[in-house]
Amino acid sequence: MTKMKRRTFVGLAAATTTTLSMPSIAFGALPRVVVIGGGAGGATAAKYIAKDSKGAIDVTLVEASKRYYTCFFSNLYLGDFRAYGSIGHNYYGLAVNHGVNMVHEWALSVNNAAKKVNLGSGESISYDKLVISPGIDLKFESVNGYSAEAQSKMPHAWKSGTQVQLLKNQVKGMKKGGTFVMVPPPNPYRCPPGPYERVSMIAHQFKKSNPTAKIVILDPKNKFSKQGLFMEGWQKHYPGMIEWISAETHGGIKKINAATMEFETDLDTFKADAASVVPAQRAGRIAMNAGVNNGDWCPIVPASMQAQADENIYVLGDASIAKSMPKSGFSANSQAKVAANHIRGSLTGSKVFTPRFANTCWSLVATNDGIKVGANYKATDEKIDKTSGFISKTGEDSNLRKATYEESIGWYSGITSDMFS
Amino acid sequence: MKYHFILLSIVVCFFLINKSYADQKQLVGADADYGEHLFGECVTCHNSTGLGQGIPKITGMKTSQFITKILAYKTKEKENAVMQMVAERLGEEEINSLALYLSKLK
Ligand SMILES: Cc1cc2nc3c(=O)[nH]c(=O)nc-3n(C[C@H](O)[C@H](O)[C@H](O)COP(=O)(O)OP(=O)(O)OC[C@H]3O[C@@H](n4cnc5c(N)ncnc54)[C@H](O)[C@@H]3O)c2cc1C
Repeated sequence: MTKMKRRTFVGLAAATTTTLSMPSIAFGALPRVVVIGGGAGGATAAKYIAKDSKGAIDVTLVEASKRYYTCFFSNLYLGDFRAYGSIGHNYYGLAVNHGVNMVHEWALSVNNAAKKVNLGSGESISYDKLVISPGIDLKFESVNGYSAEAQSKMPHAWKSGTQVQLLKNQVKGMKKGGTFVMVPPPNPYRCPPGPYERVSMIAHQFKKSNPTAKIVILDPKNKFSKQGLFMEGWQKHYPGMIEWISAETHGGIKKINAATMEFETDLDTFKADAASVVPAQRAGRIAMNAGVNNGDWCPIVPASMQAQADENIYVLGDASIAKSMPKSGFSANSQAKVAANHIRGSLTGSKVFTPRFANTCWSLVATNDGIKVGANYKATDEKIDKTSGFISKTGEDSNLRKATYEESIGWYSGITSDMFS
Repeated sequence: MKYHFILLSIVVCFFLINKSYADQKQLVGADADYGEHLFGECVTCHNSTGLGQGIPKITGMKTSQFITKILAYKTKEKENAVMQMVAERLGEEEINSLALYLSKLK
């Protein structure tokens, strides 16, 4: 069989099965897709379903905020490489260019049997297919002593917004020669290299204005993403400033005290002058309300991103168990395109292509010193399997690192325009 | 005068149709719908509206230029880890479908 025939066959097979499960839609009414969450996964899904169906599907996006501040590049804001305004985006393009019906409200619950989403205002919206991409909620209780109240003393800044601005303010105002403590989250979590890029950007800030400051990382893990590359970069750009202490070494964080800024471990009690604590995470609450989770995260069908628990619901991005893809904006965007194609196929009979997934995560270590890690993935029956990948190498020349940083700027502009315009 | 203009238009049209036919004839297995779908993978990084800072613009690229570049990444003659990875899993049908779709974009 030629490749062409094989792919066409996949399309036809999907179209055939979906014809059987086509929703019973009143004559003349358009099939309806509701998307909950207008972030990397949800905004992309809403746009592609609306754009590609060319008016044949009615798309509603339920997003609590009117402005989305990306977590990606929020670390660059901490390092003064980006202005805060430049990482905020609105939904004008989705509404005006693609006819997405924007509902700026909280989705409170899902009635799976009646296929309805109940909103904070008391209204409800019906769907034929529902996409859930709510990102993460924080498990504050995973760090003994941390809480929603303590977050302003030790910002997690893991959902962007005011928390990031607060953290930057605390970093800039930290006393000269003081100690900053970073507590990264345990696996699995949003953006595996994120905490270490954050440390790099804070170190960059200190190098400029507070060169005798120290950064202590109390990690609940024994290794981390791009470890060799970050460690090399820290040694090169911020010698002596950053100390990474693994779980094995400190024996676990027993308790933290936001009032005294103390971190109690088996090894020692660390006193901070400023800190960032990122607790463990779970899928956004609406996924639990829709009953598509199994514990903290949502199992999906790898070929379509449908929830294993409900074939009319698709779960994207951080909330899903998309092993072996990391929880990243790039992954969420890639998954959204697979789901959008599948949803359109099942509602309108359009071609369904073999799913293709990809991810690349760039991180900035210092001025013009960018690193990256990426992989291709394909769907198997069990998981989204990595088929090939790459990672920056230690000792790379500075021109390549500069080009990698510049590439990340291009990616940011690409993905945000892909999501929102 | 009018006659000449019509004749000239016919000649020009014939030339253009023939040229685009010649371009597309080489695109074995190309499917514009598939190309549009695959293009979704490109625009995560290649801004479809902007200037292409840090990452080159690909919209408006000539079909032959596009194919030559992708093949150079596929054979790893051209450096860039992300593009080598992208090109690695593009077969002839995918490359031609993308090329066909790109040629239809302004
Ligand atoms: C510091 C940091 C750096 C990062 N850097 C990168 C990077 O360089 N590259 C990268 O690819 N990724 C990066 N990420 C990860 C990336 O931000 C996430 O993986 C991505 O945003 C996940 O997309 P999502 O759609 O799952 O969730 P989100 O993008 O968080 O979107 C969820 C949206 O849903 C809305 N929502 C939630 N519940 C409801 C509800 N019930 N009703 C209505 N609306 C709701 C929220 O308001 C939010 O807008 C980074 C993350 C952090 C924290």
